[in-house]
Amino acid sequence: MPIVLLQATLPAANLPFLFAAFTVAWVAFFAYAFFVSRRQQELRKEIAELRRALEQQEPEDAS
Amino acid sequence: MMQILRPVLILVGKDILLEWRSRDLVVSVLVFSLLIVVVFNFALNVTPQRVTVLAPGIIWVTFAFAATLAMNRSFVREMEQGGLAGLLLSPVSRDAIFLGKALGSFLFMLLVEAALLPVFGALLNFSVLSFTLVLTIAMATLGFALVGTLFSAIAVQTRSREIMLPVLFFPVILPVIIAAVEASSASIGSEPGVGLNRWLPLLAIFDALFLVICPWVFAVVVEE
Amino acid sequence: MLGNGIRQNITGYLVVLSGLFMLADLYLIFVVAPTDAVLGHVQRVFYFHVPIAIMSFLAFFLVFLASIAYVVRRDGKWDRLAHSCAEVGVVFVTLALLTGIIWGRPLWNTWWTWEPRLTTTLILWLIYVSYLMIRSYASNQQQAARYSAVVGIVGFVDVPIVYYSVVWWRSIHPSPVVGPFAQANALEPIMLWILLFSMVTFLLLFAYLVAERTALRNSEDRLRGMRLVLRRTGR
Repeated sequence: MPIVLLQATLPAANLPFLFAAFTVAWVAFFAYAFFVSRRQQELRKEIAELRRALEQQEPEDAS
Repeated sequence: MMQILRPVLILVGKDILLEWRSRDLVVSVLVFSLLIVVVFNFALNVTPQRVTVLAPGIIWVTFAFAATLAMNRSFVREMEQGGLAGLLLSPVSRDAIFLGKALGSFLFMLLVEAALLPVFGALLNFSVLSFTLVLTIAMATLGFALVGTLFSAIAVQTRSREIMLPVLFFPVILPVIIAAVEASSASIGSEPGVGLNRWLPLLAIFDALFLVICPWVFAVVVEE
Repeated sequence: MLGNGIRQNITGYLVVLSGLFMLADLYLIFVVAPTDAVLGHVQRVFYFHVPIAIMSFLAFFLVFLASIAYVVRRDGKWDRLAHSCAEVGVVFVTLALLTGIIWGRPLWNTWWTWEPRLTTTLILWLIYVSYLMIRSYASNQQQAARYSAVVGIVGFVDVPIVYYSVVWWRSIHPSPVVGPFAQANALEPIMLWILLFSMVTFLLLFAYLVAERTALRNSEDRLRGMRLVLRRTGR
């Protein structure tokens, strides 16, 4: 009887924990990778803009 | 040997003289420590039955907070007068500067602890005349001084210097606090002598390790 | 070092490779791995939790090595590596703590216990959060590099001492784990193989995140340099 009880209750009761652990790990990794790559894109765009600004400036300096 | 010892002693002498003239730091650290003890008494309800269990923890939390307060001031004082820049320009090795500041903090903390210990003994009802307790305090305070001097040299240069020292200091110093609390329990608590053969060597290893590492990395901290 | 294009290629390969490995890993964990006879399905967290924790230790070991290299060589590339590994390491160690807490609850009947490995992991988290804090509070980049290298060295040297002090502390203050599954049972060979595969998967994920973060750091540095030039030329 105790064994039956164990089998019947525990694994089912544990499923939310299993779900929670994997969800937390996945969400965190995805969120981190997402934020890093989005910030990278922003910076690349800004670098391109600044480079254009620098290139425009140089001819002015020369003249 | 003399070449490094002389500047160290001169630095320590300078710090002691500075403190002797104003006495503001020693007074504020002592008052602060007593306040912590009062707060603990009511927060933990220190009754005679539980005092032997609680006393080591109260002592070491107080000492650790007092140490952060004292270390923080030690370099803030140097910064205010441009003293650190002057020290770094002087023809003294970085090791000597670190050891001088650390020894100064060590002696200062020992003084504060010597003044507090009888008060603790009276308030918390234990005998302070224990050789192992004094040895524990000396070794743990040396660990506090080494790590605290290094991190306060870092913290003082950053924005929000008041918060950076404790944030850096406490995680690294945790083994010292554990060892000091346990060794103090063994000295004044209910089970005399238990575990001292572990905690005292642990403190010695910590001190020896950081005595080697801290001067080396201190040179990296102060270079400009 | 490697050219920009090659490095971007490597990052691209790493993200595809770690994605494929992750899918295979999930298949192994949820389909192939046998359900633990005692613990039930929740034991499958183990295949995630253990590799994540080990990768965080690896990350901080790399921070330690790169910090020493920076102190000795003063080459900015070591600082960039240390910084990237520290940030990714904090992500991993946070997840190691969270999955550990979630796993501990059904296993030990408590969210938290001051067990040596858990405690050391928490201290690692605190040390490397302070590492990232000192970086952001430093007044310039060069100062950030030097200070964080010091924290990276001192913090890592401290870890074994923390671990042993907590082991000994526990031997004096035992708080026996009282849950129904206090004792771990031996792993079956298939479980070990899946754990090993999981380890490789998270190593790839770790390498990808570090590569991505290092690339971001390179962009940050380049942008800072360009802004400096612009300010000097009065724009």
